[in-house]
Amino acid sequence: MPPFFQRLGALAYKELLHMLRDQQVIYLALGMPLVMLLLFGYAVSFDVDELPIAVLDHDGSAAARRLVRGLEASDAFVVRHQVREAAAIEALMRRGTIRAGVVIPAGFARQVARGAEARYQLLLDGADGTTARIALGYAFGATAAAAGDAGRGVLPLLEPRVRALFNPALRSALFIVPGLAAVIIGILAVLMSTITVAREWERGSMEQLFATPVDRLAVVLGKLLPYVAIGLLQLLLVLTAGAWLFAVPLRGSLATLLAAAVLFLAGVLGQGLLISMVTRNQQVATQLGAISGVLPNLLLSGFIFPPDNMPLPLRVLSRAVPARYMVAVMRGVLLQGQRLPQLWPQFLGLALVAAAFLTISTLAFRRSLD
Amino acid sequence: MADAKPTPSAPAIVAEQLTRRFGAFVAVRDVSFEVARGEIFGYLGANGAGKSTTIRMLCGLLAPTAGRATVAGADVARDPERVKRAIGYMSQRFSLYLDLRVRENLEFFGGAYGLGGAALARRIDALLERVELTAQADLRTGDLPGGLRQRVALIAAMLHEPAILFLDEPTAGVAPAARRTFWRLIRELAAGGTTVFVTTHYMDEAEYCHRIGMMSAGRLVALDTPATLKRAYLAGSMFLVEGPQVAAALPALRSHPAVLGAQPFGAAAHLRVDPAQLDRDGLQGLLTAGAHGALRARPVEPSLEDVFLALVEER
Repeated sequence: MPPFFQRLGALAYKELLHMLRDQQVIYLALGMPLVMLLLFGYAVSFDVDELPIAVLDHDGSAAARRLVRGLEASDAFVVRHQVREAAAIEALMRRGTIRAGVVIPAGFARQVARGAEARYQLLLDGADGTTARIALGYAFGATAAAAGDAGRGVLPLLEPRVRALFNPALRSALFIVPGLAAVIIGILAVLMSTITVAREWERGSMEQLFATPVDRLAVVLGKLLPYVAIGLLQLLLVLTAGAWLFAVPLRGSLATLLAAAVLFLAGVLGQGLLISMVTRNQQVATQLGAISGVLPNLLLSGFIFPPDNMPLPLRVLSRAVPARYMVAVMRGVLLQGQRLPQLWPQFLGLALVAAAFLTISTLAFRRSLD
Repeated sequence: MADAKPTPSAPAIVAEQLTRRFGAFVAVRDVSFEVARGEIFGYLGANGAGKSTTIRMLCGLLAPTAGRATVAGADVARDPERVKRAIGYMSQRFSLYLDLRVRENLEFFGGAYGLGGAALARRIDALLERVELTAQADLRTGDLPGGLRQRVALIAAMLHEPAILFLDEPTAGVAPAARRTFWRLIRELAAGGTTVFVTTHYMDEAEYCHRIGMMSAGRLVALDTPATLKRAYLAGSMFLVEGPQVAAALPALRSHPAVLGAQPFGAAAHLRVDPAQLDRDGLQGLLTAGAHGALRARPVEPSLEDVFLALVEER
């Protein structure tokens, strides 16, 4: 075997042994993705189910009751309280018992009957903007339906027939899990790789290593390979759990996904190694790793906020975040069944970012003690 | 003591006005010496005297600011890679991976030198046997006592059969018995033709070296065999002064014009006296007349420590 590969093999095997001997790493590497998947998969939902509301009905008419039934029929709302004064709604909302209130004014039925503009008031909890916005959408729909039932169009009755492709039930989990998988793996890769080089500097083993003829590319790749393997294992774990718990499909090819994952991992690990090499200090590296691992992966990846809606500087910055491309690949392959011809811009992005991070970290890796 | 110096051929190590600065601080200043093949070259000095900086420059780990050095015929600044292939280096903290087993550490460092397969396995077995660690091969390195760990670090630096070994404070924090075993090994290696460059701050260990360089504040202040150092580098005659209140008497003795130096030595003291001004009887008279009770003086061979302290104080 050529000496380079002999050295690379020795370095990678040693790194693997470190991992296997350190139970914390095993827990972090395999336990954390599952915990985060469960947390995000179940807790983070953009669906609004059975939002508790209070109703203040000044009218007491059949039309008013029809409106309330219409709201409840969507399953988005459930009436918890019938109240007698407007102040009660605010009090209940402050206590957290309800998330929205409906005030139907006296004369509502008369207005409906006359075909005039019938108004009711929807009070939303603006402290939770996301839920409020979604509730508003449901209320519009329900109101339109109720108006239609009344036989007279309060609103012009255009009735769009909506079908959400790739996710017909518009389930949040289906949208979240693929992106989440990329984000979790990215964060963990940065966290795990940031301390590896810094640890060797602190313990003095890096000095020992530099007295041998190993070259820096072998050191960088030797550090990288075992973590790529762990990352792929995490991906398979999250995909299996996602399919089992949240019925996330795999409509494209697994090979495409794994190929993208290798490039993605090379990028995020390169980022972690760079931090580790520049700081040479475990504590600083851990902090920098936590910040630079979590924030871009979570905020700039498109996992939650679509990059297209970001202000220009962030949009540009997001192009250097490997997770941005990986989130798109995950959704594309898992949900849409996309293949390489559609995904090549993402692959190109992943490859460029990975090449950049690895080149910079290899160059930044000074093989001397100066 | 090992005084039979091997015949010098092409020197294994040459340093010429080697200098290293860290900002305004000069860690090593104008250091020049040659080390012959098969020689045990001891580098003696207090912490911060520039020993490790010198060794790191010679190993190609740190670029010299000025001057030059060749190790095994390769220039350390221009061709550090050739230097690294020719040498074994054991750094100050014997940096093994404590979570790996002994054999795994050795396999790793063997791999780092581009070795592998059956040849490496045979070499590891042979070295383990030589340092009597065969039984510990599958133990976690972190579970070994310091003395054994230090032997593992030594053979980790020897796997590729280097012609020159650099050992930076290899016996720091190791029990005395283990230190003696270690030095027996070093002398065996040197007898087999390996050049050993070793730093230490234990004066007793320095006696094992063929030649000794003494470092103080970045300068090489003396360089010779232990015997010559003791004979030729100290002016005056050396006396051992014993008695119940030696330590209390030292300040008064130091101020006497004939006393060139006075240092505590265990429970007693070493006193260096100008023989032209004060002979043994004169000194004994001085001691008896002093205010510190009954002190006795007898002539002794100076130790390396006396030489070192005298040289450091003179600066």
